[in-house]
Amino acid sequence: MTAASTAAPGATLAIRNVSKRYPNGVQALTNVSLTIPPGMYGLLGPNGAGKSTLMRILATLQEPDSGTVSLGDLDIVRQKDDVRRTLGYLPQEFGVYPKSNAADLLDHFALLKGIGARGDRKSVVEALLRQVNLWEVRKQKLGGYSGGMRQRFGVAVALLGNPKLMIVDEPTAGLDPAERVRFLNLLSELGENSVVLLSTHIVEDVSELCTRMAIIDRGEILLEAEPLRAVAELRGRIWRQVVSKDALPALEREHRVISTKLLAGRTVARVHGDTSPGPAFEAAEPDLEDVYFSTMTGHIGRRSEAQEPAVAR
Amino acid sequence: MKFWGIFRFELAYQLRRPWPWLFFAVLLVLSFLMSRDASLAEALFEEFLVNSPFAVAKTTVFGSLIWLLIAAPVAGEAAARDVATRMYPLVYTASVRESEFLGGRFLAALVINAFLLLAVQAGILLGVYLSGADPSLVGPFRPAAYLTSYAFISLPNAFVATAVQFALAARTGRTMAGYVGSFLLFFMGFFIAGALLFGRALGTLLDPIGVRFIVEDLAYLWTTVEKNVRLVGLEGSVLTNRMVWTGVGLVALVGTLLTFRFVHRAEGALWSRWTSRGRVRRAGIAGATLARPPVLAHVAAPKVERTFGFAIQARKALAIAWVSFRSIARSLPGLALLVGIPLLTVPVVIDQMESAGVPVVPTTALVLRELTASLSAELSRWVIVPFILVFFAGELVWRERDAGLSEITDAMPGSDWVPLVGKFLGLGLVIALFLTMLTGAGMLAQTIRGYQDYEVGLYLQVMLGLQLVEYLLFALLALVVHAIVDEKYIGHLVAVLAYVFIAVLASMLGIEHSMLVYGAGPTWSYTEMTGFGGSLMPWLWFKLYWAAWAILLAVVGRLLWSRGKARGWGVRMALARQRFAGATAYIAAAALVMIVGVGGFVFYNTNVLNEYQSRSAVTARRAEYEQKYGRFQGTPQPQLAATTLRVELYPDQREANVRGSHRLVNSSTRPIDTVLVATSTSAVETRTLSLDRAATLTADDPRFGHRVYTLAQPLQPGDSMQLDFEVHFGRRGFANRGIDPSVSAKGSAFTGAAWLPFVGYQRERELVSAADRREYGLPARPVIASLYSTEEREPTARGGGIAFDATIGTSEDQTAVAPGALRRTWTEGGRRYFHYTTDAPIGREWSFFSARYAVHEDRWNDVTIRMFHHPAHTAHIERTVRVAKASLEYYSREFGPYPYRHLTIVEGPGAPGTGLHADASMISHGEGFPRWVPPTDASRFDFPGAVMAHEMAHQWTLPYAAVEGAPFMSEGLAWYSAMGVVRATGGEAQLRRLLATMRQPNPYPPIRRGEPLLRALDPYLSYRRGPFALYALSEYIGASQVNGALRRLIAIHDAPGAAPATTLDLYRELKAVTPDSLGPMLRDLFEINAYWQLDARGATARQTPAGTWEVTLDVGARKMVYDSAGTEREAPMDQWVEVGVFGAAAEGAALGAPLHVAKHRVQSGGGRITVTVSQRPAVAGVDPYHLLDWEHKDTDDNITPVKISM
Repeated sequence: MTAASTAAPGATLAIRNVSKRYPNGVQALTNVSLTIPPGMYGLLGPNGAGKSTLMRILATLQEPDSGTVSLGDLDIVRQKDDVRRTLGYLPQEFGVYPKSNAADLLDHFALLKGIGARGDRKSVVEALLRQVNLWEVRKQKLGGYSGGMRQRFGVAVALLGNPKLMIVDEPTAGLDPAERVRFLNLLSELGENSVVLLSTHIVEDVSELCTRMAIIDRGEILLEAEPLRAVAELRGRIWRQVVSKDALPALEREHRVISTKLLAGRTVARVHGDTSPGPAFEAAEPDLEDVYFSTMTGHIGRRSEAQEPAVAR
Repeated sequence: MKFWGIFRFELAYQLRRPWPWLFFAVLLVLSFLMSRDASLAEALFEEFLVNSPFAVAKTTVFGSLIWLLIAAPVAGEAAARDVATRMYPLVYTASVRESEFLGGRFLAALVINAFLLLAVQAGILLGVYLSGADPSLVGPFRPAAYLTSYAFISLPNAFVATAVQFALAARTGRTMAGYVGSFLLFFMGFFIAGALLFGRALGTLLDPIGVRFIVEDLAYLWTTVEKNVRLVGLEGSVLTNRMVWTGVGLVALVGTLLTFRFVHRAEGALWSRWTSRGRVRRAGIAGATLARPPVLAHVAAPKVERTFGFAIQARKALAIAWVSFRSIARSLPGLALLVGIPLLTVPVVIDQMESAGVPVVPTTALVLRELTASLSAELSRWVIVPFILVFFAGELVWRERDAGLSEITDAMPGSDWVPLVGKFLGLGLVIALFLTMLTGAGMLAQTIRGYQDYEVGLYLQVMLGLQLVEYLLFALLALVVHAIVDEKYIGHLVAVLAYVFIAVLASMLGIEHSMLVYGAGPTWSYTEMTGFGGSLMPWLWFKLYWAAWAILLAVVGRLLWSRGKARGWGVRMALARQRFAGATAYIAAAALVMIVGVGGFVFYNTNVLNEYQSRSAVTARRAEYEQKYGRFQGTPQPQLAATTLRVELYPDQREANVRGSHRLVNSSTRPIDTVLVATSTSAVETRTLSLDRAATLTADDPRFGHRVYTLAQPLQPGDSMQLDFEVHFGRRGFANRGIDPSVSAKGSAFTGAAWLPFVGYQRERELVSAADRREYGLPARPVIASLYSTEEREPTARGGGIAFDATIGTSEDQTAVAPGALRRTWTEGGRRYFHYTTDAPIGREWSFFSARYAVHEDRWNDVTIRMFHHPAHTAHIERTVRVAKASLEYYSREFGPYPYRHLTIVEGPGAPGTGLHADASMISHGEGFPRWVPPTDASRFDFPGAVMAHEMAHQWTLPYAAVEGAPFMSEGLAWYSAMGVVRATGGEAQLRRLLATMRQPNPYPPIRRGEPLLRALDPYLSYRRGPFALYALSEYIGASQVNGALRRLIAIHDAPGAAPATTLDLYRELKAVTPDSLGPMLRDLFEINAYWQLDARGATARQTPAGTWEVTLDVGARKMVYDSAGTEREAPMDQWVEVGVFGAAAEGAALGAPLHVAKHRVQSGGGRITVTVSQRPAVAGVDPYHLLDWEHKDTDDNITPVKISM
């Protein structure tokens, strides 16, 4: 047994040149490098971007083909068990044993997380179940839980053992508004001295909470930024126009349209441009969504750098 | 049409998966191997064509058995994939009806299964036509053989199994439930049909697979010729069975189609809906959260200490064990194992606590024999357990992944050992509880039978010691296989194949050394007299050896344990290399050291201290013996005339030494100059061997125990010489099969034949099986010489007339037994000695015993009867002595004097059965015999008494030749004689019960085939038809006539120097006492194989004016003859047959007082018989006492109630 080395509080998660290719040929991650300090960190990307693969590698469940991942002094790939001792992981999808109840199963997991004393386990289980608002239903069969309740149960499991590294993969998808707020509050509290990595495709999750973020698509990091600063940098570059549906294709041909949205029956198109694209446009206050779409469409971030020479239009 | 669309989609989907093709390949290979396997032919002492319809049917049955156990996912997937993949909301809301949807899926599964079963037929074809098959055993190609097997065995099996698997999977929404369906059917075939319902007909009916009706029924009912040419037809028991099971399949299918609903799955199982009735829970509790405003919460989990050392890992493993145990114990299959099977075991044990219909005292030792089986006992009823273990192992390995929790649990801290060890312990706990429940079932059965001496310690030792280890080793294998394969269905397939290898394939492939078959080893045995004897020590060493392998397996399982998303062998191997460090590496090293150390010790015992010989090596050696020395057969040899032995037994040391000498006489007419001596090749070491006259040892081949001495002066006719020898039975560790129990601390038993040197070429060392003989280029030889061959009439049994003298010494607290009368006993040097000599010649079968016997002495006239028995076994003494005396009385009156002045009845230590064995002046019996309890009520039948009378009759068995018909001369005559004793002691009523018992198909079902009684070889002819024929004859011509003939026969052949008798001699004597009018009947009984079928079809009676009753009886009659080819034809019948009319029967009796019993002439087809009786008749019948019509029927059709017409 190796001497138990634990990540010091406030350790930084460093991802260096991580690549992962699946046997079926899908390149899930390409040369991903990120530095994630304690605090809330948002990983934003569309479906299939490679978020979950990255999260699983960080959660010790998958091996990268190349690259290194470390948490402080810990090598996540080689010192899996040491990492697991400080890890809280909430996967994107998970099930439960339908026939056990929340209290029993959480107690079981508490033991698996190394809480040996029965009394300790009991108090931890109670505290966490109250925290995620499942205390009243702790004796109900998990099979009868709604999706949101199940998700909260998962949160409680992830919080066991005061993790220094918290990986939460699309956690808010199944939560109702009130629970979402409660959960995000919990996370940000945890982020005060732990690394909390939150993957999501919901821009608000990041904009509301994260001090830092990265945008990932097709296995590549397109942008690494602080949300507030990124939004600030877009100020004066986002323009909007309300157009009819028929006019949209022409608009898309002529301008750098980053997103179109239906608003009360009309289509609102947002365009990226260093200067006003035309009189029909009005200046718009940028938000994180604009950062996201601008990055995805290659107007800012790494994709724009790579494409710069090719874009002759 | 949607139905066909669904069908096509399912078919295409499954055929693109790997598993149907794997199943196909496995079935193909296994069927190929089975079609080449000749074990059945060996068991039946017959040869069949490898492509005979019977052989094809046999392989088809076993092929479907394997298919049943591996291919359950086909139906399981078809029925439950939508629910298992959680895709059902999309499917169930499509516009399709349940019946169309399920029907299409079912049909697709059925078609795939039918296709898979074609692999069995393909495998057989390969077995027949690929090179390597014995060409002389390949008959003409008959497509019908394959088609009928496929249509009548495979297809109905496919239908019922698919329907049951499909029904269970559809109902539970779990694909693995298909396996549960397989187990149910398998359980029916092996457990219920095989054991609980001993009644043959019902058992055959209830077997869903066909093992019973093909392997058991047809194997014995069909003649060899029939087995080679007759097709399995849909008729008789086969038809009923197939209809019953197709019906079961239909019910399962229709039930599923009618009750299945497209509903949300959270509706829950029937059970939880039932238990939660009346408890309405408001969903609002969960919704209450909405009412609370989202406040900024603090992560208020208390700071608690966490540890990651060994102690917490152990606690985690225990927690996982407990959770695993609970998950199994609460599942339906778990309940079936832990409650259902033990409950069913109670009646099974009670049912088995009898022998031949007579109850046996349910001692713990006997009950344990029913509750345990070694893992590799493939025909035991417990063969179901390994398959269930494979299933549970799969469920445990896949538990987190099935629940969708694996990503969470895999990311938790802790070694990969924890889940593996935890799950193993959980499974172990299930097994331990199962064995405890079985113990309870055994005790319950004992209690129900009124037996209360439970011997809890013995139960625990055997069930939770020996049997638990047996299962634990396999449970670990199953877990590791599932962990390594990492594909649920394929893991199941591999684990089942691993079991098939252990139980069947290994020996089929010639892998016999127990060090090469996982978990194998010698079996233990326990009897009341000997305890475990020496059987535990080798068992333990082998299990230790396999435990070391199991630890290594566990290391492999831990290295490849699936954690996280690592898929593909490259990744897993890399991970394994990473994991191979620290404690894991040390454990692997320790396991390797243990394998080498313990394995080395075991190997030293099995292959160095003892000689290891594979079956093929034994076969080769037998062939070589015949090739090298067969030329000596027929070389005149001096005959054994007297033997003197000095036997020293050292039970505690498990050693023995025998010094002795044979006196050999030249009883031929020519001088003998060459003497062949055959010594034991394995059991004992022959230390010295010498002749008392000048001779040169011209050949000495210790490998075959063959020596040739050339005498300087030939031995003249009538002269004699002496052969001195010393043999030693040494303690030599243990062999692959365990320890030779011949000499052991608490009880020893051995025979002279196994240990002592004898003179002459040993024909019984030759190969017998025709296939083996062909393989080694030896000329064909019959199992036994033809009745009509005049050479080779070797004397057996009492023949030979040897004077025997043995002094046998043993430890001070034991009593030794040898053939002959006990002359003297004394103690010398702390050892007890016994001197036995014969007072009249005996044969060459000598048995020796030593144990802490109690002795019971009794006398009949001048004969001393000594019973040597286990001190605790006393219940049988009085009744056994009584029968012995009655037998001495009756046989000496009927057949001539008993030649000896002593009779020894001895209990064989370590032999568990109820069986008895007769040597000259000695009857030995197993430890079960004293525990065999005949009813005390004199009106009930005393079968043990009849068996004892039978063994006593062997004392009058005349010297007979070892030619066809010999078993009839021995067993047939003895049973006929025993009938006389039963009648003399118990009257007609007891005799009729004996006859009724003998007519039952157990244990000797009627075998109708070509050989007539005079050439009898099989057990039916010798144990049943023989005594029936003699008894019928005695009822027609008078018992005194038949007994007189036998008495003359014995007198002729018992005379010194007389030729041994054959059935032809017996037949000549019988002919001499049979009037001409009964000549045809005598011929029907002995010379040809004729059977009579007689039935009473109806009887009426009316009262005559004179007050008498006129009874009219309609009878049906025919006579069937089985010719030498085994084909059946009807022969014209014209026969005196008994016709009886009886008064009202007393309660419990079949027949009342006879009003009229007389022989009437009955022709083929029967007719109407009218008789007049004086009293009111109740029952009338033709052949009412079954003198001619022996067939057992559940309701006796030879008799019929009489209808009174006014």
